[in-house]
Amino acid sequence: MRFQDAARDARAVVYAGIQADPLVARLAALLAAATPAERWMARAAMNGERTDAEIWRRMFPALFGEGPSAELRDHAERLLAASLDVANRGEQARSSYRGAVVEELTAQLLARRSGVVKRERRVLFDGVPAEIHPYDVTVESTTRPEVYDCKWGARGINADVLNQLDDARAHAADEEIEITVALVVFDARRSAEIRLDRSSAPRDGTRLVALENIDELGVTRP
Amino acid sequence: MNDRAELVEDAAAAYRALADLAETIEDEWQYVTDLTDAYLPAIEALAGIVAPLPAGAGDAVDEAIAEIGLITDPHRAIDWLSTYPHVVALALGGDVDGGSDR
Repeated sequence: MRFQDAARDARAVVYAGIQADPLVARLAALLAAATPAERWMARAAMNGERTDAEIWRRMFPALFGEGPSAELRDHAERLLAASLDVANRGEQARSSYRGAVVEELTAQLLARRSGVVKRERRVLFDGVPAEIHPYDVTVESTTRPEVYDCKWGARGINADVLNQLDDARAHAADEEIEITVALVVFDARRSAEIRLDRSSAPRDGTRLVALENIDELGVTRP
Repeated sequence: MNDRAELVEDAAAAYRALADLAETIEDEWQYVTDLTDAYLPAIEALAGIVAPLPAGAGDAVDEAIAEIGLITDPHRAIDWLSTYPHVVALALGGDVDGGSDR
């Protein structure tokens, strides 16, 4: 088994430009340090119809009201501003930005415990045709590699994603390598489990990381 | 009816309307139905919290209702089916996942 950079088609080149936008890294860093309530606020604002910050402050009094500390309010303000910056990009662009943010957040959290975090990588196995789609984030440990597919919402979970993750796990097992395969979903665990419950694709060996427990990526393998 | 119960009733009505819009995506009908079956009772259960309403709860729920009321794209509505219950729960000081997520 080995990792390889994915070949870039025109769409991937455009997406790489979004991934490289400093806004993505800044927003991911803010989310990495955020509370669950702040993450819900960011998710809502990035999904929102309105981009007036005052509306979002009223919607989240626990973050912007009298109760929270000045430090939390300041962090929430910076997160809201960055989230609305994404929301202002227009429907098509914001969708790409949201995906890139979840990938970058995953990579930043994983980097807390591993120095070999990479992006857009294929995993090659002996005698097995390479998958078309690369994995969003990988931890390329020689002893215990990890591959992650990242989704903005639970609706992005589908059979293709689950099959690809399970194939990686199975092929690695054929080579006697224990690989961690996981879905990272910036959405409620409950929503993701509801989505998974209706899928017939194999998922017993695939871990689920949701908005509520995403911090754990930086501490231990899921 | 107290303030909390009225807020929850309004929030639940708005959620039903959101679900009606979302289920127009035929391929996602089952997912929309499953989400609604899970989260609508969870929203309604927020009426049973005994604690006083947190400061700003009324405005927060009103803004959340206004936000989803602006949605016309059923795909966007699906995105909000899991987000909106959590926004309402945060405003009302409750939980919609059967455990703490705060």
